[in-house]
Amino acid sequence: METITANLSFLLSGFQLTLKLAGLAILFSFFLGTFLGVLRNSSRPYLSYPASIYIEVIRGTPLIMVIFWIFFLVPIIFSRPIEAFFSALISLTLFTSAYIAEIIRAGLRSVPQGQIESGRATGLNEAQVMLYIVLPQALRNMLPALVSQFIALFKDTSLAYIIGVVELTRAATIVNNREYRSFVIFGFVALLYFVCCYGLSLVARMLERRQARQMGGQRFADIIQQLT
Amino acid sequence: MNYEFDWGVLLTYRGLLFTGLLITLKLTAISLVLSMLLGFSMGIFRTCPVAALRWLAGVYVEFFRNIPLIIQLFFWYFGFPVILPEAWASWLNRHHLEMIAAVVGLSTYTSAYIAEVVRAGIQSLPKGQWEAALSTGLGYLGAMRSVIMPQAVGIIIPPLTNQFLNLTKNSSLAMTIGVAELTFQSQAVEAQTFRGFEATFAATGIYLALSLIISGVTNALERVRPGTALKWKR
Amino acid sequence: MRNFISLVVVLGLMLLGVSALGASRLDMVKKRQALIAGVKFDAPPFGFVDRRGRNVGFEIDLARYLAKRLGVKLKLVQVTSKTRILLLINGHVDLLIATMTHKRERDRVIDFSITYFLDGQKLLVKKNSRIKTTRDLAGRVVATVQGSTSERNIAKAQPKVRILTFQEYPMAFLALRQGKADAVTTDSTILLGLKKGDRNYEIVGDFFSSEPYGIGVPENDSKWRDYINFALMDWWDSGQYQRTYAKWFGPASDYRMDLTFEMEVWP
Repeated sequence: METITANLSFLLSGFQLTLKLAGLAILFSFFLGTFLGVLRNSSRPYLSYPASIYIEVIRGTPLIMVIFWIFFLVPIIFSRPIEAFFSALISLTLFTSAYIAEIIRAGLRSVPQGQIESGRATGLNEAQVMLYIVLPQALRNMLPALVSQFIALFKDTSLAYIIGVVELTRAATIVNNREYRSFVIFGFVALLYFVCCYGLSLVARMLERRQARQMGGQRFADIIQQLT
Repeated sequence: MNYEFDWGVLLTYRGLLFTGLLITLKLTAISLVLSMLLGFSMGIFRTCPVAALRWLAGVYVEFFRNIPLIIQLFFWYFGFPVILPEAWASWLNRHHLEMIAAVVGLSTYTSAYIAEVVRAGIQSLPKGQWEAALSTGLGYLGAMRSVIMPQAVGIIIPPLTNQFLNLTKNSSLAMTIGVAELTFQSQAVEAQTFRGFEATFAATGIYLALSLIISGVTNALERVRPGTALKWKR
Repeated sequence: MRNFISLVVVLGLMLLGVSALGASRLDMVKKRQALIAGVKFDAPPFGFVDRRGRNVGFEIDLARYLAKRLGVKLKLVQVTSKTRILLLINGHVDLLIATMTHKRERDRVIDFSITYFLDGQKLLVKKNSRIKTTRDLAGRVVATVQGSTSERNIAKAQPKVRILTFQEYPMAFLALRQGKADAVTTDSTILLGLKKGDRNYEIVGDFFSSEPYGIGVPENDSKWRDYINFALMDWWDSGQYQRTYAKWFGPASDYRMDLTFEMEVWP
């Protein structure tokens, strides 16, 4: 226990960076993912094909590979240094958006066709129907699945460890490398992650239950969640 | 800044990448079998009438799902052997502990997700199925075996495939505890040639091919059992 | 249309990687008013994190000296043996002071300063173990780090050894402590840093490799390399090198090692 208290401020600074990384990645991947999901759902092949390819390639690739890619590729393209933190942020965003896009796409399809037709009938154009009628419902339907994806993202931030971002996992290994108390240190860090992720999963479950009531008992989100 | 692509290194070092691929396949295959066994047990426990088992399985699932895999791998490799009797720990140390820790970590982590898939599959069946099965005089286990499971298995194949794909991808994290799998070897190529982009690109291609093959096989499976996936794939 | 063409040209140049034409790192550092140095965070006493979370060590002091001489702020970026060369090539960092041996193979892709530290590879083992030289390692397990030269040196010195490869040195030492490996091998000073004051471990054998440490700088930037070389010589001549050395390797330190090395100073 003394090991933890002596290094608490360092571990917490790592935790802070984890929260920052997760928060920003959630924000960015939500927008990029929604955009990609809408594109893939489009009936125009020149929009849906590139989105499909992107989504499938990313979903077939381990996150660690995406991290290495960005780490090696971005400086080649932009020929200027970027920090490991931003490298990790870009990787997590690109990776998670592919999964979010699939959730959004499933959500879009959960909105009855009649809604779209009546939206068009009132004189809204295609984009407006998407923006004001379909998307809000899709997002609401998919909220539990989205929260689950954010839990996954929160855990995934631990991979930033590999390229040297001193977030919670790397902070833990740095402390462990000095103190050699693996059991206590990794146990403490595991607890921190667990509290955050479990807390979020309770939120997801609550949303899901509310949804189930609204949707007549179907565990639709649950099913989609398994799918994605 | 100067970067000229040199794809020739991939040919020179193809042996490394190939041995890495073999280890990835081995790691994934062993973990798949174990995680299916654990996952199905836990998933059935979660829906069974015995409250203690339901609770146990619930704790199991939440515990393994909510801690990052990399931390769990560190724990199994560095943390866990410390509390074992000396003789066991040294036996493990002589027998590729890194591989054993990776298998244990990947299997338990994946099994928590499989348990949820199985639970959802069982619970998605109408209550009437249970009632009908029990009314024919079958016991709980009998009903589970001959009525519920055959139907549930059909439903859970697609989400199970996703877990299989995730397992394949997650096996890449074993590199952090020194398992010389595909990602590890791609970085070894990088270390020897400083050709990080080319090496990473090649490994990614191999992972994509693996994913495609796994999806292809499952799609074929679905065709053998038509209709099972209709509920899932829209 | 002209805009479009110039956009394509710019993108093309970027892809060809010639956008940074002619500019020396020296000018970039001065313009930016900050020196970005790639250092180790896990290699005491060269570069490590102390209990209060500060980056300290012999190489960190060297980085501070360079920044002070340049009159700019210092920014430290953690590198590992695996990532450092790419970080330099990609321009993440201006230079590498990261326990890096000057190897001909590495010199093909980056340039090196003159040697600022001379080291060699040895073995760290449990006290009273039967391992004295690389010969005793046949059939045993040795731990080291991916991307370092240690991996290949030990394989050459003892082909019959099983090598456990980690991402960081302390993890390799942890493997030795936990009995996962019979020895850790790398440069003797890094072993010294891992062992620290611990009497249960000892460093054995003769050097089985020569490891001259140099500062890594981008390829073909002689203005920058000259600046670093002259700074190193001034560091030595002014006596600051010896003072810094005493601070980290002197009799009062955890890493006692006598100074036998002499820097190459040009007249």
